[in-house]
Amino acid sequence: MINGTENILVCCGTGCIANGALGVADAIEAELAARGLSDDVQVKVTRTGCSGECEQGPIVRFMPRDLMYYRVKDRDAKAIVDSLDGEPVKKLLFKKDGQTYEHMDDNPFYALQHKVVLRDVGIIDPLNIDEYIARGGYEGLKKALQMTPDEIITEVEKSGLRGKGGAGFPTGRKWRTAAGYDVFPKYIVCNGDEGDPGAFMDGSTMEGSPHAVIEGMIIGALAIGAEEGVLYIRDEYALARDHIQHAIDDAYAAGILGESIMGTDHKLDLSIVRGGGAFVCGESTALMASIEGRVGEPRAKYIRSVQRGLFDHPTVLNNVESLASIPTILREGGEKYAEVGTEKSKGTKVFAMVGKVKHTGLVEVPMGTTLRTLIYDIGGGIIDDRPFKAIQTGGPSGGCIPEELLDLPVDFDTLVEYGAMMGSGGMIVMDDRSCMVEVARYYVDFLCEESCGKCTPCREGLRQMRAILTDICEGRGKPGDIELLERIGRTMQDASLCALGRTAPNPVMTTIKFFRDEYEAHIDRRECPAGVCADLTQFAIDASACTGCGMCSRACPAGAISGERKEAHVIDPAKCIACGSCREACRFNAVLTERRPS
Amino acid sequence: MSEMITVTIDGIECTCEKGEYIYDVAKRNGIFIPVLCRHDAFPDHRACCRICIVEVEQRGRTKVVTSCVYPIDGECEIRTNSERIQEERAVLFALLGHRAPEAEVLDDMSASLDMSGFKRLISVDNEKCILCGLCVQACNALGTGAISTVQRGTDKKVDTPYDKPSEFCVGCLSCANVCPTGAIEYSQTDATRTIWNREFELVRCAECGEVMGTPESIRHAVGAEGDAPTVCDSCRKKRLADEMMHTYRYV
Ligand SMILES: Cc1cc2nc3c(=O)[nH]c(=O)nc-3n(C[C@H](O)[C@H](O)[C@H](O)COP(=O)(O)O)c2cc1C
Ligand code: SF4
Ligand code: SF4
Ligand code: SF4
Ligand code: SF4
Ligand code: FES
Ligand code: FES
Repeated sequence: MINGTENILVCCGTGCIANGALGVADAIEAELAARGLSDDVQVKVTRTGCSGECEQGPIVRFMPRDLMYYRVKDRDAKAIVDSLDGEPVKKLLFKKDGQTYEHMDDNPFYALQHKVVLRDVGIIDPLNIDEYIARGGYEGLKKALQMTPDEIITEVEKSGLRGKGGAGFPTGRKWRTAAGYDVFPKYIVCNGDEGDPGAFMDGSTMEGSPHAVIEGMIIGALAIGAEEGVLYIRDEYALARDHIQHAIDDAYAAGILGESIMGTDHKLDLSIVRGGGAFVCGESTALMASIEGRVGEPRAKYIRSVQRGLFDHPTVLNNVESLASIPTILREGGEKYAEVGTEKSKGTKVFAMVGKVKHTGLVEVPMGTTLRTLIYDIGGGIIDDRPFKAIQTGGPSGGCIPEELLDLPVDFDTLVEYGAMMGSGGMIVMDDRSCMVEVARYYVDFLCEESCGKCTPCREGLRQMRAILTDICEGRGKPGDIELLERIGRTMQDASLCALGRTAPNPVMTTIKFFRDEYEAHIDRRECPAGVCADLTQFAIDASACTGCGMCSRACPAGAISGERKEAHVIDPAKCIACGSCREACRFNAVLTERRPS
Repeated sequence: MSEMITVTIDGIECTCEKGEYIYDVAKRNGIFIPVLCRHDAFPDHRACCRICIVEVEQRGRTKVVTSCVYPIDGECEIRTNSERIQEERAVLFALLGHRAPEAEVLDDMSASLDMSGFKRLISVDNEKCILCGLCVQACNALGTGAISTVQRGTDKKVDTPYDKPSEFCVGCLSCANVCPTGAIEYSQTDATRTIWNREFELVRCAECGEVMGTPESIRHAVGAEGDAPTVCDSCRKKRLADEMMHTYRYV
């Protein structure tokens, strides 16, 4: 230990590795070795998992004194090691409004958060079961082993925990129903499919705190009487799968899984199944079909999985985040968990915030936190302080929420009243340069490939919606298109076989509801107000604002921009493909968009 | 005996067992609900066409369900033809009609609905298949399993594995016969039959010369050990009758 520092943690979550975190860890380690300090301070080249502010990574943290460095490069290693017993490295500290923050908890990105699911993520080495146990891991399980199934379920009911996979079904009630069926074997299944574009909550949780998920599953299995469990993990999540598998192996070796859980006569076997590779595979009946080795298609079922699920046996399916909340609920009691949150949505929720917000990343906040707090206080506001336009929540099943609704508390029920939903926690922040018709088209296009295609309203409704929205974006919109989209949307909502199709129209319906004028501009005037739709937009440079810095011409993929240094640049309309790169690149707002004459 | 329940369907009181499907109860009571992907021959229904939707009002809540697979679980009021159902059924027929413009049966089935307002929709050229999945069910029920739905989303279709002639297909035509839109094409000459890109020989009855099927389909029907017949069913019956007459004559 040197001056209160025992370890140097280097975040090696997927985001930070991409930014060179492994090199940073090596460099710091080499620096310590060179100075003979390796015994005093250990570098933890721990795949600590995502600490949540990926875009500011790689992140390096001195523990336990809690000093956080951001955007660290290999060449900072010397300065970092110097700072062990000296002044912090100023340029690597978090800065906001001219102020610097040394400690993680001072940084507003973290100060407003409340970590239950992510409490160990970014702090422990996920591949080391002892570090999990040292922070209270498997204490909840120990308690559960001394309780009856009924007592465990009562504790979960008291917590008010609702399923975080999107639907918000009360977890305690689900467990109680499953516990009530005397049909064996029963199964517990963890849904780690996470197929929404832009979401990475569950992946990061499995990567960063795999034992929490496993502990949650064991407790669930005890409650319902299951002796077999499956983790269904999205195919692309190789790292999450590795970490979970490693944790399962360690748990077997430690006598926590297998024939005798912690020396009792309870048993549980866990295994991993790789996801079927489509968004629809996260839907419960499709997921179970996929585990059974059949095509990942939903089944029309009016009988719930708790009664007849996997192999027609009683099955509890829970989301990663729901399960990772369980150990804390058992350890600290359901009432403690229920202290935060709103009346009907207790506890916390993890969000993956991306898009045009200053600090993107993973955040965990009490249920009921407003969108405004999330975007402005935690997210630091919109990049370049541009005007906020909308936030897309809930992925392809969710909706676009406009400025006037930013003070809504985010919980399971409120956004639904406005046709959107909190969903599983993906959030995409958009500024005034986002076209809402194009956003709707993007999600519909995604679902055209990611639905299973089994039932008429979803498959054919999406096909027609895609055609109409593409027409609108390309200047072929017709009067009556909005009404036809709504008509198809309503039938999809009512008549689709599974929840994918029933929620698929949400992005379209909410953008029509809140940004109808933008649809009308496209259809009636062939104009894209946001300057996004290429067929409707032309670009020009405002000579009076242009400083001639040349950023635009470097960004232009079509070689359409010319101009001498320090003189106003011009765009050649014949070469311009209206990609918008120059507008993004220009720091002086000199690139203007206008309606392209037809 | 299981619990009996009384429900009203379009104002008519109907009694049924708990767990019976709405479609079956309606049919027994003379109430017609259109269906496309439901067939009496199969115990499980895919419930994918969604044409059979009805409204169920129970404990003050109204929801739209598919009648072919919705088990009645308590007293409720069911409407098979409300405004909402007619509207949504019209949209469903319009969606299917543009997916499969060649499927004429859809025009007949939707004749009583207001089908205006759909000119804007795009059509898939030359398509007849509405993806009801009955062909797949038929082939699976035979135990041949030669075809299935492949791909997903808007690209979904019925096909043999990898679009290659299937080694499991026996050329029995069950799929083509069950198809409500006549979407499965096959051709036949004097000696051969071609379906799903595979050519089969034809076996003819040794007595009357009628087509009996393909060697593969006949083998499949009698099993690996069974004796494959050489005469068709009707000739075999006639022959039996003749033999019996013969026998009686000497009694
Ligand atoms: C199309 C579709 C995709 C889904 N994807 C996921 C997913 O990736 N992860 C998940 O936990 N739940 C997903 N769900 C929700 C699950 O069906 C299910 O409700 C959930 O896993 C139950 O767990 P919970 O009660 O703990 O939330 C999806 C639902 C639908 C309709
Ligand atoms: S709603 Fe979509 S994803 Fe669900 S069963 Fe129908 S086609 Fe498949
Ligand atoms: S919009 Fe794209 S193609 Fe056109 S000038 Fe700007 S960067 Fe070049
Ligand atoms: S003809 Fe071939 S594909 Fe069709 S039902 Fe018979 S075996 Fe199956
Ligand atoms: S080919 Fe015929 S039976 Fe098969 S899915 Fe298409 S419409 Fe239905
Ligand atoms: S991966 Fe390091 S902060 Fe997200
Ligand atoms: S007949 Fe019921 S869904 Fe097709």
